Amino acid sequence: MAEPLSTGRRSFWRSSLLTLPVLLWSMLMFSRALAQPGLAPKLAAFITLAFVVILFHQMMRTAETNRWRRYFFVALGFLFPIGFVWDLIALRGSMSIPVERMISGDTPFCFLAIPMMILPAALTKTVIFPGSILPTASNPHAIAAMVSLWLVATLALGKGWCAYGCFFGGIEEGFASFAKKPRIKRLDPRWRWMPWAVLAAVVLLSAVIVEPVYCSWLCPFKAVTEYPQVRSLETAAQAGIFISLFLGLVIVLPLLTKKRTQCSFLCPFGAFQSIFSKTSAVDVRIDTARCVPCNLCENNCPTLSIDRDAVKAGRPMMSCMRCGACVDICPRDAAVWHIKGTAPGAGGERARLLHLYAAWAFAVMFGGSIIANTLSKLIGLVV
Amino acid sequence: MHAAGFFAEALMLGVSSGPACLASCGPVLVPVLTAERRTARGTGVALAGFLSGRLGGYLLFASIAWFAGHSLEVAPRARGLVFGLAGLAMAVLLAVYARELGRTPEDARCGACRVTRPRSLAGSAPALLGLVSGISLCPPFLAAGVRATQGPGLAAALAFFACFFVGTSVWFLPSLGLGLLRRWAEVAVVARLVLFVLAGYYAYLAFILLGGLLHG
Repeated sequence: MAEPLSTGRRSFWRSSLLTLPVLLWSMLMFSRALAQPGLAPKLAAFITLAFVVILFHQMMRTAETNRWRRYFFVALGFLFPIGFVWDLIALRGSMSIPVERMISGDTPFCFLAIPMMILPAALTKTVIFPGSILPTASNPHAIAAMVSLWLVATLALGKGWCAYGCFFGGIEEGFASFAKKPRIKRLDPRWRWMPWAVLAAVVLLSAVIVEPVYCSWLCPFKAVTEYPQVRSLETAAQAGIFISLFLGLVIVLPLLTKKRTQCSFLCPFGAFQSIFSKTSAVDVRIDTARCVPCNLCENNCPTLSIDRDAVKAGRPMMSCMRCGACVDICPRDAAVWHIKGTAPGAGGERARLLHLYAAWAFAVMFGGSIIANTLSKLIGLVV
Repeated sequence: MHAAGFFAEALMLGVSSGPACLASCGPVLVPVLTAERRTARGTGVALAGFLSGRLGGYLLFASIAWFAGHSLEVAPRARGLVFGLAGLAMAVLLAVYARELGRTPEDARCGACRVTRPRSLAGSAPALLGLVSGISLCPPFLAAGVRATQGPGLAAALAFFACFFVGTSVWFLPSLGLGLLRRWAEVAVVARLVLFVLAGYYAYLAFILLGGLLHG
């Protein structure tokens, strides 16, 4: 039987040396905020910088990934809606967006709309999202910037976007981590295909009615960001759906299952992102020679990407978001990080570092700035 | 010559507006063709069934519109009622079909008598869904409808619609390639779930349209 590989803890100084590139990158990213006038932005940038650097240092020191990643991701998930709604209220005095402002292209762009835009753009050369391509005074969240960011992150991280970039996933991951034990342990594995079904349905329907169907009718996160102003039976129904889905899939079910249920059972963007699993250089493999099927990886995977068939096949399903939960929990080091094109099990820590440098660089640039902006607003209330 | 020109016009109108018709029927057609793991021949039969149903829907709607006064500009309330009911029918059909696809042979047996209950929709589902899909007011359909009413009579109008239908159907032929997806069993599972999602969408649409009528 194969001996377990042990990465072990690193010394403080060795971990610090490995954290140095992240420290320099973070300083570069927050240099503008640190130079801003006033105490609040400076303090917020400093706190965020310290937060991301300490988390990365802990990742290096403890050889655990998911635990520290989760602190960052949950902070992002909970702070994003606060900052976003704050901006909306400052700009237009309300969370709800009137139809007139949608027509004038004032809807902030969200990456969830990307898969629905492809067919209409290809067939009719029309961007179906009611936003603006470039930033404007009334809508700084432009389409071009978000699509470019998504493209770069996707090429580097693939499905890792869902573990480091998605500012919605952190909310349900937060609720999932609040529960000590799952109350619901068995979930019908067929539901795993639901995001693919939602993806197919919304892409096809968006091509017909030339609007992003998911955003209009199914997105649970509208409940905490913005939603169409309730003026008719239709908009009332939309608001009802948004709130029900948010309560059910983002709060209640994660608390009961300790899983990211919205991502696992609804999110079409997650399914779309799975297609790009192949673009990232690093993935997770399961060494079947080392594995004694204890089911720890299966039970701890937040997105139901591991089952017995996956273990037998030696790799998680394509919905794996590279959070590292299975690698961290495996007592025999059977689940390992892996650089594509190399032998599974060889250079697992090197693969983890390669993935983490790319993922954390993106997380600091994208999520870090969101955290710092919101913190700055909150600190501004006090200071 | 005049009649030939009239029908050639219908054919060309169909060919030129086919992509819009394909986009309009795509959400229902794609899962219908992939939800059952059919052979190439089976996919062809299902597509033919869907298109026949769609033709039936076209002709039915054209006849109603003709008798309703040579015009497709139906009053908004009546239009809301027709499309609300069509949405409801579509939702029910999709849900029943998706549910039937999930039935195993054991589920289909009547417990005590051991007689296998036939699937009530299995073979006819593509045609029925095509029929309900045909009842729509997409822009190309309206254009064809308006032109058809300018013909000499109901028979000419129906023939115009039939030619229009043939023109649009050319665009549906590549969807036969969807049959190739049957090698992946997961595609059928996803397609079945898509049918449920679409059932929800059409039910919601019906709720909004019919609810809007009640709401005034």
